[in-house]
Amino acid sequence: MKENMLTKFLQALRDDEDLRVRNIDCGIKLTVVSMDTMSDDNKVSSYVMQPLAYINDAASINDVRVKIMTGAVAEKVTSMQQAMEVYSNGHTIVFDEQGNAISVDTRTSLARSIAEPPTSMVLRGPREGFIEDVKVNLTLLRKRLKTQDFKYENLTVGKYTNTAVAVCYIDGIADKSVVDDIVQKISAIKTDGILDSTYLAPYLDVEKTFLFRRVGVTEKPDIAVAKMLEGRVAIIVDGSPMVLTMPYLFMEDIQSPGDYYENSTMTALSRILRLISVIASLLLPSLYVCLQEYNYQIIPLRFLITVMNASEAIPFSPLSEMLLVLIIFDILREANLRMPSAVGISLSLVGAIVLGDAAVKAGLLGAPAVMIGALSGIGLFTLPDNTLVMSLLRLVLTFIGGTMGLFGVTIAMMGIIFYLASLQINKTPFLAPFAPLVPEDLKDGIAQKQIASMNKRPRSVPNSNHTRRG
Amino acid sequence: MEKDKISINQFALMYLLLIAGGKFLKLPSMLAADVGHDSWLTLCFSFLWDAICLTFLLWAIRINKDSQLDISAILNNTVSKAVAKIILIIFFVMFVVRNNILLASCYKMFAVTFDVSTNWIVYIIPVVALSVLTLKLGFNSVARASQLLFGIIFICVIVLIASPLSQVDFGYVLPIGEAGWGKIVSTSFLRSFWFTDYVFIYLLLDNVKVKKHVFSPVLTAFAIGAFVTIAMNAMFVALYGDLAPQFDLAMSKIGVHFVSKSSNGRWDWLTLSIWLISVFIKIVVFFICSYKCLEKIFEFNVNKLNIWAIGAITALFMLPIFLPIEIALSTVVAYGLIPFAIVQYALPIAMPFLTKAAQAKLNLGNTLTDSIKSAKRFARKAKENASV
Repeated sequence: MKENMLTKFLQALRDDEDLRVRNIDCGIKLTVVSMDTMSDDNKVSSYVMQPLAYINDAASINDVRVKIMTGAVAEKVTSMQQAMEVYSNGHTIVFDEQGNAISVDTRTSLARSIAEPPTSMVLRGPREGFIEDVKVNLTLLRKRLKTQDFKYENLTVGKYTNTAVAVCYIDGIADKSVVDDIVQKISAIKTDGILDSTYLAPYLDVEKTFLFRRVGVTEKPDIAVAKMLEGRVAIIVDGSPMVLTMPYLFMEDIQSPGDYYENSTMTALSRILRLISVIASLLLPSLYVCLQEYNYQIIPLRFLITVMNASEAIPFSPLSEMLLVLIIFDILREANLRMPSAVGISLSLVGAIVLGDAAVKAGLLGAPAVMIGALSGIGLFTLPDNTLVMSLLRLVLTFIGGTMGLFGVTIAMMGIIFYLASLQINKTPFLAPFAPLVPEDLKDGIAQKQIASMNKRPRSVPNSNHTRRG
Repeated sequence: MEKDKISINQFALMYLLLIAGGKFLKLPSMLAADVGHDSWLTLCFSFLWDAICLTFLLWAIRINKDSQLDISAILNNTVSKAVAKIILIIFFVMFVVRNNILLASCYKMFAVTFDVSTNWIVYIIPVVALSVLTLKLGFNSVARASQLLFGIIFICVIVLIASPLSQVDFGYVLPIGEAGWGKIVSTSFLRSFWFTDYVFIYLLLDNVKVKKHVFSPVLTAFAIGAFVTIAMNAMFVALYGDLAPQFDLAMSKIGVHFVSKSSNGRWDWLTLSIWLISVFIKIVVFFICSYKCLEKIFEFNVNKLNIWAIGAITALFMLPIFLPIEIALSTVVAYGLIPFAIVQYALPIAMPFLTKAAQAKLNLGNTLTDSIKSAKRFARKAKENASV
């Protein structure tokens, strides 16, 4: 079999325009194979060609690997599949006449420089963000975890993309069964290609919740490391600056990257504000509609008169009016995301001021409805991971509020809470530490305590060592 | 964390919500009609019987800690299969009737208090949908949600009860025992249908995860629930005196005092809506229990049923809601009091002994406990060795 590996290899790649083959004699006859686009010319030259050019007494290919190759990574290639895999990744393969082969890491490093991620900006704290290169991302983690306990398992996913995936964890903290489960799920993926880490998420969340995402995402290495120190597993995918973390709690969406670099009292206040704004965003439109349609007695008289005056000439019912406002807001948000940033600002201005003001002045929409719609829309952004889901739920709740009143809203909210409470992934309940109540973990719940007092790892997240610093 | 099991603390909180969930609707006015201002004394007696039975039931849970036998396993192995089925049928009827009375009361609450006359179908569809969803999600989701919602519901209850405090003259509940002690005690039995909320745990005996404490969390929750209910009842009678029997829905009348001026808006309606969550939790729990009864009577797995079939059966459960509530209640008192009393009062007292007998018959008692203990000891030693 081995005798034929070179022939087989060249046969398999006979139509490959990227293939570069060079024969060289350094005591034994060698064939050097590399890929034009994925291999770095300088690295091929200095790690492989130059050392070979000055030698003429090599005894075997193993001799070449051990004594001659200057590349940091030079490994034996034992199978055709491995040869194809390393070649596709940009390694240079050196074959001898018998078909024995070694690979040298000569991958090109085409990556942007490390910058502050646009989705996780902080006032205080590190500003480094992950980039699209798995190696750089691993380095960013390693830089913060200078321990032998930092482990990662390399996997390759995708029939055509052969995407490198690294499952990272801290040995002695992470629950090994969770790590094994994640590795097993990734290894079992059969797909054409993985282009981003978000492609992996549905494979990891096997119970397939149709609404909420149960795999965390971060662009910041400090956040990834903090989560790994709590027992979570980080999953880096080559070509994606988004690192997945598992298990994931709903609470993580309320926590912001900057929380741990601020005063704990201020953080608690911010979290309470975020929670209030999310609840208000979800319920304000539906309550406004159901109060207008059915239970207007709840509204204080003066306030009611103002609302009635503002909406008496509106040609729509309160339900249609609110749905219209919410849908317009969602359209503006969607358009804004897809516009270049310079145009996006103008679009926001046109949407928010011109469109809203014109609609109110024309008597098509009431000012209270526009105000509540806008307030609710802004509030949703405090839950960045679930903005779209919340936006959808807001529409559904508004519809229910308009058709069934307070009764419908109460039942619908109960349904949502029951549903969220039932979610569980990797032995972690989604609503922990609140449902089920885990009193020890409330230290990092809504009211965050000083970091110094958090001497235990969260019990909600499975880990094999509950005590920090030990 | 085990997904299908509920902890004893979750059970305690759920039980507390269930106590608060049904007793502030029609019960206070009915008791006021029966025994006048001594209704709070009737409640004291009712809760006393509940406390005794609950203690026995908790004892049974403790005995059942390791063997985790379910109700039908216990009954089948002790009182025969036929009697077990009869008991389960009584449970089923009780859960369905209680649910319907709760649903009818809630409907009235929305119609009278919130001035919203919803069509019956529109009213029932969301409740059926919620019940079916919960059945599919599992009992654990209700237990967890109860933990999450408990705080806000209980705050609302306390606020609603505390708001009229300044206007209450508790002198109206005196003299104590005016209705006659015999009548007070007998009323506590006649109205037993509204009590013994612990019955749901029969159907979840194998779902409770018991660690160290069984009695203290549940009995504390019970004591709080009983105290709040008695306080609310005393306040209702003190506020409305001889007019109390005429006000069908106590909570809605107490809520009136939440606002000082009507121009300030009826914020009590929002608090009432939040409190109603506890009523709907009770409805959902009893609904799950009625399905569990059916599962055990006909020996099938409800999770294998089509979701639409469950929805249709659930809608059938809710058919009695079309009967006037007064007729339903009088029928229950006339025909159901004795059979219901068997499962409400006699069975809990017998449960510890039945559980022990079932364990002995199945050879599960000490043998199983011992084997579990030795397995745990072995695992601990293996872990210690591994860490060394």
